[in-house]
Amino acid sequence: MIKIEGVSKQFDDLLAVDNLSLDIHQGEIFGLLGPNGAGKSTIISMISGQQLPTSGSLKIAGHSPVSNQSKRLIGVAPQTTAMYEELSALDNLEFFGSLYGMSQGDLKSRSDEVLEFTGLSERAQDRVKKYSGGMKRRLNLAITMLHQPEILLLDEPTVGVDPQSRNKLFENILDLKAQGKTVLYTTHYMEEAEKLCDRVGILDHGKLLALDSVDGLIDEYGGESQLDVTTADEVITLGTQHPVAELQEILREHSNITDLKLKRPDLEQVFLHLTGRHLRD
Amino acid sequence: MGLLGAMVKKDLKLLFRDKMTVFFTFGFPLIFAAFFGSIFSSGGSGSAGIAVVVSDLDQSTESAAFVQRMDEVNELRVEILPEHEAREATRKGKKVAYIILPDGFGKAYGSLFSGGTPEVIIGVDPSRKAEAGMLQGVMMKLGVERFQNALSDNTSLADVLGDSIKSIEEDQNIPDDWRVLLNDYLPKMKTMLEKEEAMTATTSVTANGDNGISSALTPLDLNFEDVMINRDGPKNGYAVTIPQAMYWAMMGVVMGFGLALVQEKTLGTMTRLVAAPITRLQILGGKALGCFVALFFVMTALFAFARLVFDVPIDYPLKILLALFCVSSGFVGIMMLLAALGKTERGISSLGWGVMMVFAMFGGAMIPLFAMPEWMKAMSDLSPVKWAILSFEGATWRNFSYEELLLPCGIMLMLGIICFYAGSRMIKLEE
Ligand SMILES: Nc1ncnc2c1ncn2[C@@H]1O[C@H](COP(=O)(O)OP(=O)(O)OP(=O)(O)O)[C@@H](O)[C@H]1O
Ligand SMILES: [Mg+2]
Repeated sequence: MIKIEGVSKQFDDLLAVDNLSLDIHQGEIFGLLGPNGAGKSTIISMISGQQLPTSGSLKIAGHSPVSNQSKRLIGVAPQTTAMYEELSALDNLEFFGSLYGMSQGDLKSRSDEVLEFTGLSERAQDRVKKYSGGMKRRLNLAITMLHQPEILLLDEPTVGVDPQSRNKLFENILDLKAQGKTVLYTTHYMEEAEKLCDRVGILDHGKLLALDSVDGLIDEYGGESQLDVTTADEVITLGTQHPVAELQEILREHSNITDLKLKRPDLEQVFLHLTGRHLRD
Repeated sequence: MGLLGAMVKKDLKLLFRDKMTVFFTFGFPLIFAAFFGSIFSSGGSGSAGIAVVVSDLDQSTESAAFVQRMDEVNELRVEILPEHEAREATRKGKKVAYIILPDGFGKAYGSLFSGGTPEVIIGVDPSRKAEAGMLQGVMMKLGVERFQNALSDNTSLADVLGDSIKSIEEDQNIPDDWRVLLNDYLPKMKTMLEKEEAMTATTSVTANGDNGISSALTPLDLNFEDVMINRDGPKNGYAVTIPQAMYWAMMGVVMGFGLALVQEKTLGTMTRLVAAPITRLQILGGKALGCFVALFFVMTALFAFARLVFDVPIDYPLKILLALFCVSSGFVGIMMLLAALGKTERGISSLGWGVMMVFAMFGGAMIPLFAMPEWMKAMSDLSPVKWAILSFEGATWRNFSYEELLLPCGIMLMLGIICFYAGSRMIKLEE
């Protein structure tokens, strides 16, 4: 669905995206995980045709990103919520919908649908400036979905959202996947990537360091699981690649086990392994 | 509704929801126009009476006294000028009317029955009909005073006639045929008057009675002349300040739209516009059209307000429409260039108010063009504000022909096209 081949983006003396190649398939939720400044937003803006790559090629369902065919296929939820604060949610939807040539009738029914979908129906007439941060995020998504794009580019959609709204948002995104939409999801929260994404690309300094399913990434780069076994007379702590085999071994030797802790590696370890840095600092 | 319609609607909503912008597009210009307009107007035709010019060609004691009386009454504000200048002043709309006391006025005014009705030549600005009616009343009132003067020592008109008869009989110098005539006429009249009781002054107030006895008793013969008005001055102070106020209103709109355009970027909505399947030209065209509609609307509203509240004449609506179209186009271009050059909110604010203030100063939005010293007038050609204001003045009190309007309007239109072209090429939609 999205085909990126050898794409680089240079800003003055900064290489924001470095020779990126990537295929995002129809119907998957693809996560781009990386710290601040990794180049996530830059990639999104190139896919949505807002910026041109310095080199390389980008194709959206075979179309150039700046073509209208491609733009119609795509819905972007920018990282900074993008809407008119002085207008109501409905006014915003009406305006942005008309940019996609939606008819009045379509606009009405779709607006109702997306407001319902994001749980904003009751506040539809309120001016956006009266919304909470989480509500703005939801409206940001509602606007993105309005014209029924096949591809959704969601740039850190959970920033500043409370856990409840966040869960609601996850539900929304999984719903979209169930409808067969393709989702590109950027975040610097590994938990989100683990929870939502079918495949995850790890990005740092504009470079794609690794790409696989979450489990695949952990298996390959996560390193050892940590196993804590408490018996009547000792605590056994060990790191291992094969916790199950290790555990069976311990069980054979000790019969008086009172507690057991298994800590599997996560994407944090993957990132640490790949970059020597933690994801959050 | 269509794409452009949606963009215009959205921008207008945003513009008029911003209280600051609304104040600067409506409140401030109106305060400006009202304040300075009232200052200028107090020197023009205020409530202090009808401004008339009087020319005394008779130069007699009676005519001088009559001019004196006109000056004394509250209803008139009198300026004395030679005949030619008096006519000019009215023709140019500086005065409501000229009043000429022709040769022989004093003689007729002083005597009741000889010399006929004193003639007064009056020319009134045809656009001031209400005042013309009032002027006629005032003149008649003053005219009646000549009877009152004659009767002032408590004698009746009949007594005056009696005295006259007696003096005619005694006067040896009067030719015989005159004497016969008068001796026949005056006593008959005296009897008639006594029968009809005393004449009151009011019943004799007619403008141009010309039959029989009333002819002799008409207080004044008001001889109205047609005046071809060639107004080359504003009707009132507001006619001057409204075009200026227009400029301030346009500034409000231009700044509002310039800021809104930049804010699309800073607030992120531009990302959505750029990501939508529309062209760059459509985005900027939508902005331009919105700005144009807002300018047009605001200025039409101001003109309507000027007409209804400040009594500024709107005699040539088509010319005003032309001026509105061209000036709006000009300022749309300026808005686009401003947004391109200003880049940020702060940039636009400082650039906008800074540059436009200088333009305003030299363009006549503060000091009216006609009141500028020569060196300033020369510099004003460089200010788009001058051409905007001149377009409006040309379409109102300057009464330009279409050929004359072509210059200021054409300059505004060209300016708009050039600035829009330059601005829309320079402006960056994405950071
Ligand atoms: N318009 C621009 N001009 C110059 N440099 C830019 C521009 N946009 C982005 N950059 C730089 O490119 C790099 C990548 O930025 P980008 O916004 O893509 O990062 P990101 O992964 O989205 O970060 P974050 O998590 O903070 O949103 C950063 O170093 C940024 O400073
Ligand atoms: Mg980003």
